[in-house]
Amino acid sequence: MGLSLGEKNYIKGGIADDLRCDGRRRLDYRSIAIDTGVIPQANGSARVRMGSTDVIASVKAELGKPSSYRHDCGKVSIFVDCSPTAAPMFEGRGGDELSTELSVALERCLLGGKSGSGAGIDLSSLKIVEGKMCWDLYIDGLVISSDGNLLDALGIAIKAALSNTGIPKVEAMPGTSAEEEPEIDISDDEFTRLDSSKVPIIVTLTKVGRHYVVDATIEEESQMSSAVSMSVNRQGDVCGLTKRGGAGLDPSIIIDMVSVAKHLSQQLIATVDSEIYAAEARESSA
Amino acid sequence: MASKSGTISTYSPLFSRKNPNFTNGVRSDGRHFHECRLAFLRTGAVNAASGSAYAEFGNTKVIVSVFGPRESKKAMMYSDTGRLNCSVSFTTFSTPIRGQGSEHKEFSSMLHKALEGAIMLETFPKTTVDVFALVLESGGSELPVIISCASLALADAGIAMFDLVTSVSVSCFKDDLVIDPVFEEESCQDGSLMIVCMPLRNEVTQLTVTGEWSTPKVHEAMDLCLGACSKLGDIMRLCLKEAASTLQ
Repeated sequence: MGLSLGEKNYIKGGIADDLRCDGRRRLDYRSIAIDTGVIPQANGSARVRMGSTDVIASVKAELGKPSSYRHDCGKVSIFVDCSPTAAPMFEGRGGDELSTELSVALERCLLGGKSGSGAGIDLSSLKIVEGKMCWDLYIDGLVISSDGNLLDALGIAIKAALSNTGIPKVEAMPGTSAEEEPEIDISDDEFTRLDSSKVPIIVTLTKVGRHYVVDATIEEESQMSSAVSMSVNRQGDVCGLTKRGGAGLDPSIIIDMVSVAKHLSQQLIATVDSEIYAAEARESSA
Repeated sequence: MASKSGTISTYSPLFSRKNPNFTNGVRSDGRHFHECRLAFLRTGAVNAASGSAYAEFGNTKVIVSVFGPRESKKAMMYSDTGRLNCSVSFTTFSTPIRGQGSEHKEFSSMLHKALEGAIMLETFPKTTVDVFALVLESGGSELPVIISCASLALADAGIAMFDLVTSVSVSCFKDDLVIDPVFEEESCQDGSLMIVCMPLRNEVTQLTVTGEWSTPKVHEAMDLCLGACSKLGDIMRLCLKEAASTLQ
């Protein structure tokens, strides 16, 4: 980010005085616009815009085989792609590093622990025939335009896309012997909705100078010393946490950040829920 | 031949997800919940490197070598601070199922993020320091061991750092917190928390949490990890001192 010394000081000074360049206070979000069902070929999709940050998430469900150690559950994987339309440096393999970082952070924040606790998606609801067949959910995020706070935007887009997702109803004829593959019949017009109410929301606190801000723009992110991203669910429990930026933080500041993020997440969940509801209403009436 | 009539078939080994049975607060390897594995640390494991270290925490065995600071690749642009390049790989025989043995991208970037805040990069402009970590045997909590071992190797190489970097993780099983989990415990944990910190400066350079955690539990786990980190820091310092005294 090519910023002059004056611009840098202006950004830092504004954050210290609780008045940022776009008129927001430190803990204010930009307005969030959500559209659902933007990709007809996917099982569920959503587009989220926060300021000039623009991301799309799509959910595709494919039939797969459960993994050997969790034979009664489906699988979910998250991939993020940074399009060169967002920034020239994402061309070729340039976006790989950011893509991997975002994918790993999203998986950590949304998919819960190894045993499945804290997971946003109930994996056992993806089971078709135990040990034989399940749904594999492929969640793909695409960054179209980047103006900071990509992780939070992608988190919201994935939540919206999941609530928009319909999984086809499947009739499974049990195979005659244990080794035989079960026969299945996939319905074309009957869908079950995925329960997305447990999907946590991600709140990133970006530390600039001595203070931290939410929903940082790309200019603000270029001045950050470190950022802590937390996913918080409806109950106010932390479901995942990652830290970016090399600078160290005092443990007491982290504890403070956790409680601030917890507080903010409850307002954000309410906003996002009503936006998703409005988007779905628009989609069904259109 | 044992049987001529029956067909001979092979089985793939079964890796079942047993719940670890904690009887009276004692874990499968005899440790208590808040007890770390025995650690063995040694610097100077590789002759060709500017600095290297070997760490053994229970069955987790890691070797880290540090090269540099040396001239950055020609393709790199000029930089007035030094560059840090980290790579973590697993040997093909490190896991129960034979692995790929290739670079572990996620761990490499985590190692980079964990170390960059501790190294005084401005002391070696225009140059690169390479940190290569190899996991010889994976017995759980690899990443914390890699990070601690890498900072020991950096110190051995004489790279200026603000403080040694130490890392410890805890696993959560319902209400119990189990420090420094082994492979079996990690594969069925409800959640995990890993802290990377500089103990003397009381600064956390990295923190990751997975699974569902209430706020008081996060506090408890953080306190537990920070305590263990500072103890580990003392052990690492002792190891460096020993290495220095044998040199004289």
